[in-house]
Amino acid sequence: MTEQQLPLEGIRVVDLAQVFAGPACTRILADLGADVIRFESAGRMDVTRNLIITDNDGKDHHWLRASYFVVRNVNKREMVLDLAKEEGREIIRKLVAGADVVVESFTPRVMGNFGLGYDALKKIKPDIIMCSLSGYGQYGPMRDYGAYGMGLEPASGLSSITGYPGGPPIRSGLSFTDPYSGFVGAGAILTALHYRRRTGKGQYIDLSEQEAAIPLMGAALLEHQMTGRMPERTGDRSEWAAPQGCYRCAGDDRWAVISCANDDEFARMATAMVHAEWIDDERFATVLARHDHHDDLDAAITAWTSKRDHYDVMRSLQAAGVKAAAVLDGKEILFDPQFAARGHFDIVDQPMLGKRPIQRHVAAKFRRFEAKVRRPAPLLGEHNDEVLREIGYTEQQIAQLKDDAVIADKPRLPVPANLIAMALRLPYDRYIEHHILQALEPDYREQLGLAEPADA
Amino acid sequence: MADRALDGLRVVDISQGIAGPYATKLLADAGALVTKVEPPAGDYSRRLGPFPNDIPDPEKSGLYLHLNTSKRSITLDVSVTSGQVVLKKLLANADVFVCGEKTSTLTAWGLTYDDLKSDFPDLVVAQVSPFGATGPYADYNGNSLTAMAMSTLMYNTGDPDREPLTTGGEPGEYIAGVQLWIGILAAIENRAKNGGGDHVDVSMAEAVASADEYNAAMYGFQGAIRRRYYSRHIFGYPNDIMACADGHVVVIPGASGFPSPLAPDVVSPMSLLLEDVDLDKNPMFQQMGERMIRWQDFEALIEPYLSTHSAMEIVMTAQALRLPFAFVPNAPDLLSDEHLAERAFFEQVSAGGDRLTIPGQPFKMSETPLHASAAPARGSANATVLVDELGYEKGDLTILSDRGIT
Repeated sequence: MTEQQLPLEGIRVVDLAQVFAGPACTRILADLGADVIRFESAGRMDVTRNLIITDNDGKDHHWLRASYFVVRNVNKREMVLDLAKEEGREIIRKLVAGADVVVESFTPRVMGNFGLGYDALKKIKPDIIMCSLSGYGQYGPMRDYGAYGMGLEPASGLSSITGYPGGPPIRSGLSFTDPYSGFVGAGAILTALHYRRRTGKGQYIDLSEQEAAIPLMGAALLEHQMTGRMPERTGDRSEWAAPQGCYRCAGDDRWAVISCANDDEFARMATAMVHAEWIDDERFATVLARHDHHDDLDAAITAWTSKRDHYDVMRSLQAAGVKAAAVLDGKEILFDPQFAARGHFDIVDQPMLGKRPIQRHVAAKFRRFEAKVRRPAPLLGEHNDEVLREIGYTEQQIAQLKDDAVIADKPRLPVPANLIAMALRLPYDRYIEHHILQALEPDYREQLGLAEPADA
Repeated sequence: MADRALDGLRVVDISQGIAGPYATKLLADAGALVTKVEPPAGDYSRRLGPFPNDIPDPEKSGLYLHLNTSKRSITLDVSVTSGQVVLKKLLANADVFVCGEKTSTLTAWGLTYDDLKSDFPDLVVAQVSPFGATGPYADYNGNSLTAMAMSTLMYNTGDPDREPLTTGGEPGEYIAGVQLWIGILAAIENRAKNGGGDHVDVSMAEAVASADEYNAAMYGFQGAIRRRYYSRHIFGYPNDIMACADGHVVVIPGASGFPSPLAPDVVSPMSLLLEDVDLDKNPMFQQMGERMIRWQDFEALIEPYLSTHSAMEIVMTAQALRLPFAFVPNAPDLLSDEHLAERAFFEQVSAGGDRLTIPGQPFKMSETPLHASAAPARGSANATVLVDELGYEKGDLTILSDRGIT
């Protein structure tokens, strides 16, 4: 790869987003080369600085050890700023004057209350592109609703079509509409940048996380309109394939998914399972028969899969041209040959934590550039001085801002840090006992090949 | 009419189904000229339905109508030389070529990035495939379900004693579509800055894995492997869907719903919601880990309130107490939702005499709002594209049609 600029090099993003959706959005912009400067407040850090603490041990700087924060904030710079103070807001305005994009994820009234709404920022920088990510959008009767990711997947309607047949609606085990909305926000900003490049005009983007995910309900919404039926929860089954399901494999809680759309694919599956007789079995011979006798077919398939490793099931069926995949856990994905061959995880040397695998956020692989991790996640307020100097503050002014607690590089904690660190430890021994965790492997860094000499 | 953000961007799209067409819908609704190249039998989503009154009709497939707004359609068999020649004439005037095939299929057709780059040095070739264009699984087949399985999201969804569950709505396809859209726009930005086309290679499995919240991180930072536990977060219970008098609500106490050890005298919003301030002394209210493990005991505390109140009462009261509870709407609930109506979220299109409500745009742009016009009939732009734009004779249309090329 030749030395060339990344596509968004030279684009500056003022990032006032917190938690998950917004930071996933700005991480994509950062991975594409934008200079993303994120903001936190000393009295109210990003709550993800408290989540998934490295080695489940807060030690005395828990806010620098939270993997949840690190994963979505690599490639960014950071300032810690008090927006309740006029000097803090003045710094934002000065930055916006030289910025291209502002991203924020407060509840809708907050930016306006700070005097930092779109109309105010547009006066400072007429072609600014501003994107607000919120749970329910900037207007409408629910605009002021508090919103967490775990509520927004259900609010988009998706939980109504997720669940075991006949069972209640359920959520995904991860709040995936959060990163999904963040990705959508990044695409929206790229669309606005394209327009600005052509016309010189900026604009405002109102992204409601609820709305961003409703297109996934497209078929269900149209089914209701076209047939009057209520879309059902069908577990892992589908109208588009039979058999389709998730099948038990050998080992403790190991599974593989299999999906056959048509007679050919089913015949290849039956042959691969050395059960060619299924092809002529009247219960399974046709598409309609397979839908009608799905339970019997699942039992027959499980008798085969349950004696085999889930990876073997995937490889032998895929070799026969059948759609199949192992259901991977959080360890297996780090060792999977396909994810490894394509570089889905970058190894990042994170201060205090050492080398860690961090997933890509731009899924596309390009020939002409790489949207990879180039720098670790920022320490709290790590770039206060650096950024202030860039926008013309003198050393004396910077020292004054520190004295006045407008900027900071330590959190203002309500109680001693060690008490918080203790509270952040999750009871993993009991989680294992109750099967909330599959395992806890103390030698994981050796297994990953990421152990530091000091660990050995 | 307002300006369109992507006016002038020309896209040729041979992808079918969901992922590729959703990416190009997002481009088309923003003003790009998307020429959808369907096989003569039509995009296979035309066969998937749903259909009005369950009567299959390729021009009335709900899925097709939702995913192909604002495009024009031509038919062309790109698996044979006669079709490939026409396609390449189209590519000569295109900025982006979108395909949803595995590399082995594109190789057989002579349509990989490497096949095209010397003739079309400025073309962005965007390929979405189940496992990506390269690597040991490049030739594997897949769909949303395989992507959900490989990504780890599925392993954590569902009951602990039952099989892992995928999520409704084919999320693997849509996440891959959004990632493809991002990749295309990034490659276009790169072309503007550095010159030259590119290969945008999106794996559905990686696209979903890029949305992993903390499964891989729990191993990479802790050595912990998370199982599925009623789809619950590792941070504690509930943050989950629970039954109420007339349906379901999402019970989310949020960061300050339960008593804080830092402010022991402040009555917690959760105890106010449940109208019993003594609950603040209960260990289930005081310790997150305890709630996670003894969740049945916690449910016993909360069930009497939930089972006697409607979703509307619960969510409105909780939100007034600054608890970020949420509704669990189904399809008709969304279609009649007042908030979405006030935001004019849904869009109407007409299809064969029917008026249909389709999902609206996933974001609102102030200067260049996205807008959907009805999806095209199969091959309805054949004459325009082949004769008016590519210079074929009118008589050629019949020859191409009777040989099954269009």
